Amino acid sequence: MGFPHASHCKQKKIYHQTVLSYCFYRIVFVPGRAKSLIGWLLTLLAAASGAGAAPYVPKDDTVVLETLPTRPGDPAAAELRRMRAASADAPADADAASRLARRYFEMAMAEGDPRYVGYAEAALRAWPESPSTSAEILNLHGMLRQYRHDFGRAMADFDLALKADPANSEARAWRAAILMVQADYGAARRECELLAQHSTELHATACLAYVEATTGGARAAYQRLAAALARRSDVDPGFHAWVQTRLAEMAWRSGDNAGAERHFRAGLALGTDNFLLAAFADFLLERGRPAEARALLQDWSRSDTLLLRLALAAQALKRPEAEGYARALGARFADAALRGEKLHLQEEARYLLELKGDARAALAAAAENFRTQREPRDALVLIEAALAARDPAPAAPAMQWLESSGFEGARIRQAAARLKALKP
Amino acid sequence: MRPKFLVLLAFLYAAGAQAHKPSDSYLAIGVEGAAVRGQWDIALRDLEFAIGLDANGDGAITWGELRARRSDIEAYAFSRLKISSDGKACTTAGTALMVDNHSDGAYAALRFGADCGTRPPASLEVAYSLFFDLDPTHRGLLRFERGGGAQTGVLSPERPRLAFKAGEESALSQFFDYLREGVWHIWIGFDHILFLLSLLLPAVLILKNRTWNPAERFRDTFWDVFRVVTSFTVAHSITLSLAALSVISLPSRLVESTIALSVLLAALNNLWPVVAERRWAVAFAFGLIHGFGFASVLTDLGLPQGALLLALVGFNLGVEAGQLAIVAAFLPLAYALRGSWFYRRVVFIWGSAAIALVAAVWLAERSLDVKLWP
Repeated sequence: MGFPHASHCKQKKIYHQTVLSYCFYRIVFVPGRAKSLIGWLLTLLAAASGAGAAPYVPKDDTVVLETLPTRPGDPAAAELRRMRAASADAPADADAASRLARRYFEMAMAEGDPRYVGYAEAALRAWPESPSTSAEILNLHGMLRQYRHDFGRAMADFDLALKADPANSEARAWRAAILMVQADYGAARRECELLAQHSTELHATACLAYVEATTGGARAAYQRLAAALARRSDVDPGFHAWVQTRLAEMAWRSGDNAGAERHFRAGLALGTDNFLLAAFADFLLERGRPAEARALLQDWSRSDTLLLRLALAAQALKRPEAEGYARALGARFADAALRGEKLHLQEEARYLLELKGDARAALAAAAENFRTQREPRDALVLIEAALAARDPAPAAPAMQWLESSGFEGARIRQAAARLKALKP
Repeated sequence: MRPKFLVLLAFLYAAGAQAHKPSDSYLAIGVEGAAVRGQWDIALRDLEFAIGLDANGDGAITWGELRARRSDIEAYAFSRLKISSDGKACTTAGTALMVDNHSDGAYAALRFGADCGTRPPASLEVAYSLFFDLDPTHRGLLRFERGGGAQTGVLSPERPRLAFKAGEESALSQFFDYLREGVWHIWIGFDHILFLLSLLLPAVLILKNRTWNPAERFRDTFWDVFRVVTSFTVAHSITLSLAALSVISLPSRLVESTIALSVLLAALNNLWPVVAERRWAVAFAFGLIHGFGFASVLTDLGLPQGALLLALVGFNLGVEAGQLAIVAAFLPLAYALRGSWFYRRVVFIWGSAAIALVAAVWLAERSLDVKLWP
């Protein structure tokens, strides 16, 4: 039983009573009332899925309720405490505040935990954006904004940062990355070219290769990036892992599966992160190797993006825990909806499509997602949802994107061909 | 200092999906008469960041560590929550500390009471500032319950106050809400109507030597209909109540498919009679599964905790009333026409065949999860 999307009200699916009665309420009752009913429904969903079930009193004092991501005694935690104290002691010190905000932002990225983004925002509270703000603080504001998918204002922040410091390669790279998310490849390429003036060859090549690989030149981009990497010996391990992941994706895209796997494994040897694990798991799932995907992600169920892949792997293996994973994911999406935020739409669409089997709801979520986010994965879920729902119209923007970008992925190309062949 | 890997961050993380849930607290406030009570679930991780819970520094928070900080937690939290009633501040105090689990981990569940005077409040205002200084992305998810209904709202730094009318919604109007919902549901639930019709069509006929003949006495027809409708009602009332009270739950695909199957079998039974006298038993058996179908509607509407029974009875009576209206319209007409060729050939045979066809399509759609007609 999926939560009906508003778009369901337009379609007459007579047997689906949950949808009907929901639509009935939307039409008959005042919005305030309807809102409370949605809240109710979501609460019930969350309750039904075991979240927030009932408060209890633990049986004795030694019961562990929560495991923290860091121990207060860790050197990193101690350093963070020092930075917090330094910023609190000198509230007028912009450098102390921006150092703290950057540290929190990096922690949010490494652990995928949005709480740290909130802490970073709090650290910057006394320094709102203005033309006199330093490039560093403007960049941080932009990074926090894009995290909330406020791309318009993030771009403006990076613009201001570049006005304050025209050689600021970080602002340049973020602009290119956001333009890639928005599928504005011409503009992204220009940012990469400008990046080349103030950055290393490897960074500029990585930037350009990323654009090229998304616009039909995966093979050539792969060769260029691999060559640029081979010329450098002192690459930061984090960046090196990122390059390996991108090389893997480029190889995969141009049909070189063995090469892709080699690069994924080279990346894993440098360290694990959310992004690399998600991409490798997608590769394994698509290659029909769910057992390896499951082994890879076994300990990563805290992360929503990885829990989704773990659930898909368990489902493919027909393992009993698949249902529990799906329920946990559903509860997290329901909780996010209670906040009124839609930052997970791509994952939610995939969850609705592949775990819940609700193609209509998946299509609605994927179409909404594609309005703001246009990366290959966003297009893929939209086209696949449209195919499952046998309704090509909402996927038209993704089909146009596929045509104009020249993107090469075999899976999306096949799905698009089948969608085109559908009789309207 | 500008580390090399700054630039890569952009490409790594632009618009990356959040891997976890951001910080939320769940604040439920209920009004019963003059009493204002509530439960406030606050994430242990947030409390750890704000006031520190992990006394021994081992990276794990135990019940003992949480319990030891109860007065600090209550002092911290309740100084950031102002409840007022009709413009007058209430005094809020914790009554119990428990633990609650949400989708992202363990929460301290603070039970509290707010003293707002001796009169039942007409309106309540909540002013909230928990964690906004530490984490502007924190949200308070407020659920306000009164009498039977619930309202929700999101508290944020931009909108830290929410006000609710606390006057009780009359139990009677709530009862009628659910009654109306029940009537509406049987009217739009074509599968329930078709199932009932399939069982009622033969009520004005009598099976003799494997052929259907007109019934001789209205009394027989009436009691036949009475038995079918009553057993259907009793059966679906049982499962509706059990499912609505969360005693039993079945996957909706199974329920919906079985409902389609019940319509198909009931219609086929008219064409090739297998069960004639004991159709009430069929109505009872399949009525059980139809009850789960009704329950899914009720689940979506949400049952008011304060008036659970009233709402359940209201909804059920609504379903019965809708059903009776169908029977009342059908029975005299069918009885009058029972001897005609039109009733026995067109309505009975072709009607049953049409119902069977529709039900077969539903069955295929629902069990295979495909869409066969627009």
